[in-house]
Parts: sequence; C-alpha cells; structure tokens
Amino acid sequence: MSKSLPEQTRTPAPAGVFTLVITGAPYSSQAPSTALHFARAALAANKRIDRVFLYGDGVHLASSLSAPPSDELNLSEAWAAFLTENSIPGVACIASALRRGLVNEAEMHRYELSASNLREPFEIAGLGEWVDSAASESRILYFHKGG
Amino acid sequence: MSTLIIIDQSPYGSWEGREALDMAFSLAAFDQPVSLLFCGAGVNWLRKGQDAGKIQQKSIERNLAAAPVFGVEALFADRRACDQYGLAGTDLLDHVSITDVGPDFTGRFDHVAFAG
Repeated sequence: MSKSLPEQTRTPAPAGVFTLVITGAPYSSQAPSTALHFARAALAANKRIDRVFLYGDGVHLASSLSAPPSDELNLSEAWAAFLTENSIPGVACIASALRRGLVNEAEMHRYELSASNLREPFEIAGLGEWVDSAASESRILYFHKGG
Repeated sequence: MSTLIIIDQSPYGSWEGREALDMAFSLAAFDQPVSLLFCGAGVNWLRKGQDAGKIQQKSIERNLAAAPVFGVEALFADRRACDQYGLAGTDLLDHVSITDVGPDFTGRFDHVAFAG
C-alpha cells in the first residue's frame, strides 16, 4: 500500500503524530470507517497515531455488543483489532459513554447497572486525554457524522 | 496552544453543542487557552432568557454565563449569523463579542475544532 502513496514533501502534522477524534456513530455515520481508512494510511506512511478518542455518539464504536450480519463489516471489531495490533490507545470519553449506555466493569458497579459492554482494548477516561493531545505537538483530526 | 471551538448548531436539538461546551471547559480546567465561536444557527445559544424546562432540559444559559469564570477566554458570535437571526448585541448574553469571521479570525488560533 505504501508504494502507491505519493511522496510527501509537506505534512499537516509537523511532528508526524496524529490524534483521531471520532464523534460519529458506527452505522449511522461514515466517521468510524473513514477514520479507520485514514489510520491505516497514516501508519503505512510512517506516521504515528498517539491516541484515538471517542466522543459523543462515537463512543458506540467501543461497544462489545454490536453484532452486525456476518457479511457486513463489524466496525467495532475492526477498530479493536487495529488498535491492538498497533498498540494504539483507544479511549472513550466517560461522560459521553455513561450517557449512552457504554460502561466498563468499574462503572457498572459504581452505578449499579446490570451489565458492562466495553470492548477491549478500549478504555474509558475523561476529556483530559483529549486535552493532553491538544496541548501536544500532535495534530488532531476530527471525524464527525457530517451532513 | 490556543483552541477555538465552533458551535454551528442550534441549542437543545442534540447533545453535540453541550458536549462541545464540555470540551471547552475541560481545556480551560487544564489551563489551556480556549475560546468559543457561535455561528449559523449556533448563535441562538447566546440568547438571553432561555427556558428549556418544558422539554426537560437544563438551560444552557447559565453554563455559558459561567464560561468566563471557568477560564474560557472569550465567547464570539458571528456577525452575519446574528443579522440573519435578528439578534442585536442587547439580545445576547453578557461577555459575548460580535465579530466578523474569516481566515484572519480563525488564523489567530492554533487549533480550530467544530462541535460535531
């Protein structure tokens, strides 16, 4: 894949590091899929991705309970595999996640909920993770629902 | 690293605007310079006298009024959008600056992010 990429003389990320923020939900928007295509292309071009941050409706991507038909791409599974293979942290915003019913075991116990559904290797954390990227040399790209 | 967060959607229709506000407050809480720009239908966020009780939501007016206290540097309203919605300076919350938006304006910030 990298052979087909044009040689880059300028980069929008001076340090060669990207942070991806996904705010569009899988299946109701193209955001998670477009972001995954971008992420693969970035690594193929020897760029680094320091973090993928799920915000707003984007947190649905981290659900372990999505089960699309077997002939359709399972976006949650595909993202989880990509993050694991490349050791990239995937973080779902805790406030967005709790509103939308995405919880890990700790939050399940804290709020006395009946189940947890956070898919590995995703983690739940605060907006501070995103602030950390915003304060760094990393270039943040937002993948919204569009329209 | 200064950040401008742009809200271009009307209030109460979705949670995206509120969550954008949380992003701004988070940056401010970590002492990162941040400002908010309201444009398009988003300028309706800045109206005085909002009452969202009948749709079981909290008015965002109080949150916005507290923005300077929490360290958000400035609240900007796009002049063209204000004209479009018939909003004069006196209709808007205190601390709001009506401004002409263009590359000169957004170029003042290191990061520019839309709400969603």
